[in-house]
Amino acid sequence: MAGNASLYRWRAIKNAMALGLGSLATLFGLFWLVWILGITFLRGIDALKPALFTQMTPPPGADGGLANALFGSVLMSLMALAIGAPIGICAGTWLAEYARRGKLGETIRFLNDILLSAPSIVLGLFVYTLIVAQTRQFSAIAGAIALALLVIPVVVRTTDEMLRLVPSTMREAALSLGVPQWKMVLQILLRASRAGIVTGVLLALARISGETAPLLFTALNNQYWSADVTKPMASVPVVIFQFAMSPFESWHALAWAGAFVVTLFVLALSLISRFLLARSKVTHD
Amino acid sequence: MHATTAPPEPGDTDVDLRGVRDARHDRLFRYALMACALLVLAALLGAAASTAWGGRLAFETFGLRFLWSEAWDAVNGDFGALVPIYGTVVTALIAMTIAVPVSFGIALFLTEVAPNWMRTPIASAIELLAGIPSIIFGMWGLFVFAPFLAEHVEPWVNDHLGAIPGVGALFQGPPLGIGMLTAGIVLAIMIIPYISSVMREVFLTVPTRLKESAYALGSTTWEVVWDIVLPYTRSAVIGGVFLGLGRALGETMAVTFVLGNAHQLSASLLMPSNSIASVIANEFTEAYTDLHRSSLIALGFLLFVVTFVVLAVAKLMLLRLARREGA
Amino acid sequence: MTDSAAASIAPATAASAPAQASAPQTPKIAVRGLDFYYHGFHALKGISLDIPTRQVTAIIGPSGCGKSTLLRVLNRIYAIYPKLEATGEVLLDGENILDPRYSLNRLRSKVGMVFQKPVPFPMSIYDNIAYGIRHHEKLGRAAMDARVERALRQAALWDEVKDKLKQNALGLSGGQQQRLCIARAIALKPEVLLLDEPTSALDPIATGRIEQLIEELKRDYTIVIVTHNMQQAARCSDHTAFMYLGELVEFDRTETIFTKPARQQTEDYITGRFG
Ligand SMILES: Nc1ncnc2c1ncn2[C@@H]1O[C@H](COP(=O)(O)OP(=O)(O)OP(=O)(O)O)[C@@H](O)[C@H]1O
Ligand SMILES: [Mg+2]
Repeated sequence: MAGNASLYRWRAIKNAMALGLGSLATLFGLFWLVWILGITFLRGIDALKPALFTQMTPPPGADGGLANALFGSVLMSLMALAIGAPIGICAGTWLAEYARRGKLGETIRFLNDILLSAPSIVLGLFVYTLIVAQTRQFSAIAGAIALALLVIPVVVRTTDEMLRLVPSTMREAALSLGVPQWKMVLQILLRASRAGIVTGVLLALARISGETAPLLFTALNNQYWSADVTKPMASVPVVIFQFAMSPFESWHALAWAGAFVVTLFVLALSLISRFLLARSKVTHD
Repeated sequence: MHATTAPPEPGDTDVDLRGVRDARHDRLFRYALMACALLVLAALLGAAASTAWGGRLAFETFGLRFLWSEAWDAVNGDFGALVPIYGTVVTALIAMTIAVPVSFGIALFLTEVAPNWMRTPIASAIELLAGIPSIIFGMWGLFVFAPFLAEHVEPWVNDHLGAIPGVGALFQGPPLGIGMLTAGIVLAIMIIPYISSVMREVFLTVPTRLKESAYALGSTTWEVVWDIVLPYTRSAVIGGVFLGLGRALGETMAVTFVLGNAHQLSASLLMPSNSIASVIANEFTEAYTDLHRSSLIALGFLLFVVTFVVLAVAKLMLLRLARREGA
Repeated sequence: MTDSAAASIAPATAASAPAQASAPQTPKIAVRGLDFYYHGFHALKGISLDIPTRQVTAIIGPSGCGKSTLLRVLNRIYAIYPKLEATGEVLLDGENILDPRYSLNRLRSKVGMVFQKPVPFPMSIYDNIAYGIRHHEKLGRAAMDARVERALRQAALWDEVKDKLKQNALGLSGGQQQRLCIARAIALKPEVLLLDEPTSALDPIATGRIEQLIEELKRDYTIVIVTHNMQQAARCSDHTAFMYLGELVEFDRTETIFTKPARQQTEDYITGRFG
C-alpha cells in the first residue's frame, strides 16, 4: 500500500515537473522574442529621422541616411520576385498537376525542400561563379538572381500545396466542358488558389527582405545612388552589416534604424501572409 | 419547337482540328512547366557543381590536407579548413544542446499543457522568431547580448565552471562576450522555432485513441507523451532536429557578428573563433589571390555537401511519418 | 460462388433487356461489352446496355457497384488520370468513343456532366456559363448574353440570379450552385447529359426543383442519372439499370423494374431487403 502510494506520488511529481519545465521552455522562447524585438524597436525608433529616407549612405563617421540602400533593396527584391515568382509558380503547378506521383516529381519536391533550407551564402557563391566571375563585375542583377534562388523554393512549395487543396471535381468539371487542360489550369485552378499563391509570394518577399549573405558578393554595396542594374548596388541588409561592424557611433545608429525598418517590414509581411493563408485554407474546406 | 432551337452543328472537322490544336498547346504548356521544375534541380546541381569547380584550385593545391590543416595564411598562400569546420561544429552542437530540449518543452506545452485559447497565439509568436532576419539576431547579439554576457555571465562561468577539473577547460578565458558560446546561444534561439514547430505538428498527428487508451490506464500526461507520443513520432522528431541542425550549420550573418572572426583553435567555448559561413562572409570580397578565393569557395562546397546530407536525412525522416499517416 | 453464377447470367439478361426496352428507336448510346479497370481492379464487368434518345435513364445500385465509373466512361473523363483502362465499345450515335481517334473535344461538346457536389468555378455567375461556350464558339456580346440567359432559364435559375450576374458564383446557395452547374453544362448544347447523384447534397425543396428540371430537359436531351434515391429513380426516369459489384444485373423500363423485376437481387435491393 505504502509502496503504491509513494510510487503514485513520484509519478505525479515527475509529471508536474515535466509540465512545469515545458511551460518554462515556452517562456524561455518568448523571452528572446520580446528582448530582440524590444531592443530593435527601441534603438531603431531612437535613430529614426526623415533624413533616413532622403539622404545617401554617409562616409565613415558622418551623418546621412539610407535612401540609396532602401532603393536598392526594393529594386532588387522586386527583380527577384519578377524572376523567381513565375518560375516558382510554374514549377509548383507542374508538381501539383502533372507530377503528383512519379519519380521525377517526388525527386524535385524533395530537392525543393532542401533548397528551401540550404545555406543562402552558398547560393551567393553559386551566383558569384556563374555570373560575377564571368562578367567580372558585381551587379544588382546578380544580386537579384541570388535572391530569386531563395524565392523559388518558397513559391514552389506553397503553389504545390495550394493547388492540391483544389478539389479534383473542379478539374473534372472544367475538362468535361471540353476545355483543354492548360486553360483549365491557368483560368480555373490558379484562380481558385490565387489567395494562397499570393501568400507564398509574400512569404518569399519577407524572406529575402532581410537576406544579407547572398548579396555580399553579388550586388556588393555602393555608397552612392545607383539605378544601373549592371553595377554594384547598395541594399539595407548589407549596409547594416557594414555599418554595424564599423567603429563609428553614427554608423551604428543608422544600422539600428535600418534594422528597425527591415524588421517592421518583414514582420508585417509575415503576419499578413499568415492571416491570408489561414483564411484561404478555411474557405477551401 | 426544340427542333428549331437545336444548335447549328459546327462541322465536325472544325471540332477535331481544335482538338488537335488543344492537344499541341497542352503538350507545350506541360513542357514549359516542367522546364521550370527542372530549374529547381538545376539550381541545386549548379550550386554543388559551381562551388566544386570554383574550389578546384584549393583542392588541387592542398589535396585532402585541406580538410585537417589548421593553417589560414593569406600572405604565404597556405589554407586549411580545420578551424572553420571546428567552429561550425562546436557552435552547432552548443545550439542543438540548448534548442532540442527547449523545443521539446515548447511542443509539450503547446500540445498538452496550454489551454486551447493560448495555443495558436503562442505558437505564432514562437514562429515569429523564425521570421526575424538573421542580421537582426547578429546586431542584437553583438551590441546587446555579448556585452551582457561579458559583464554578468561569463565572469561567473569563469569562476565556477572554469574551476571544475576536466570540463573546466571549456569555460576558461577572458570574458569577451563574443565567442563560440555566444554564437551557439544565438543559433539556438534562431532554430528553436523550426524544431518546435515540427515537433508540435507531429505531436498533433498522434491518433487520439492511442492517447486516450493510455490515459484510461491511469497514465499521467508526461507518461503519455514519453511512452506513447514520442515513440510514435520518433522519426519525424529526429527529422525536425536535423532540420534545425541543417539551419544551424549554414547560418551566416548572426554567427559572423558574434563569433569574433579569430582564426584559432581553442578548447574554451568563451574564445572567439570562425565558422565556415563566417569566414566566407568576412573574407570573400577581400580575397585578392586566386588561391585564397578558391579556398573560400572550397569551404562553401564543404558546407553545401554537409548541409545537403543533413537536410536530406531530415526530409527522409519526416517523410517516414507522413507515409505512415497516409497509409 | 454466387458472384460467378451472376456473372454468367447477367450479360444475357442485359443484352436481351435493351431490345425490349427501346425496340422502336436507335439508342443514343450503346454500350457493348464494356470492361473497366482501376490499376488492375476490375470495376466494370462486361456491361452492355442501350441508352435511348431523349429519355431519362437511371442507374441504381449499392455503393461501390460502379455507377459513377460507368458514367465517367461515357464522357471519358477517366482519361485525365493515368493508367485507367476501358475495353469494349461505347457507341455514341454509332461511333465508338473509346477509340483514341475519337476527338475528346467533340465528345465533351456532345456529352455534358454534372457532379454530385456542385463545383462553381471561381468567377462570376455569368462567366461560369460563358466560360465553356467561349472555348467552343466565338460569339458576339449580344449572342453570348442570349445564350447565357437561355441556359439559366432552362436550368430554372434565371429569375433568382438575373440581377446579380456579375457576382461571384460562390455566393449562391447549394441548390442554386447545382442548377448553375446544370446550366453550365447545357449551355454548350450537348446531346447527352450525365448527372452523378445531382441532388444528394441538397435539401428536399432544391431536390424537387432539380427533378422538375430533369423532366423538362428530357425534351431536348438524353439524360443519364445516377441516384441512391429509389423514389427519385421511380419518379423521374423512363428506364432503370440496376448494377451490383460491377455488373449490370437488370435493365428495363422503370415501371417494370419497380413493379415486377425479373431478378430476385433487384427486387431485394428495391424493397430494401438487400444484403
Ligand atoms: N480512383 C479509383 N481507384 C481505384 N478504385 C476505384 C477508384 N474509384 C472507384 N474505385 C472503385 O471502383 C468501384 C466502383 O466505384 P464507383 O465510384 O463507380 O462506385 P459507385 O457505384 O458510384 O458508388 P457510390 O454510390 O458510393 O458513389 C468501387 O469498388 C471503388 O472502390
Ligand atoms: Mg458514385
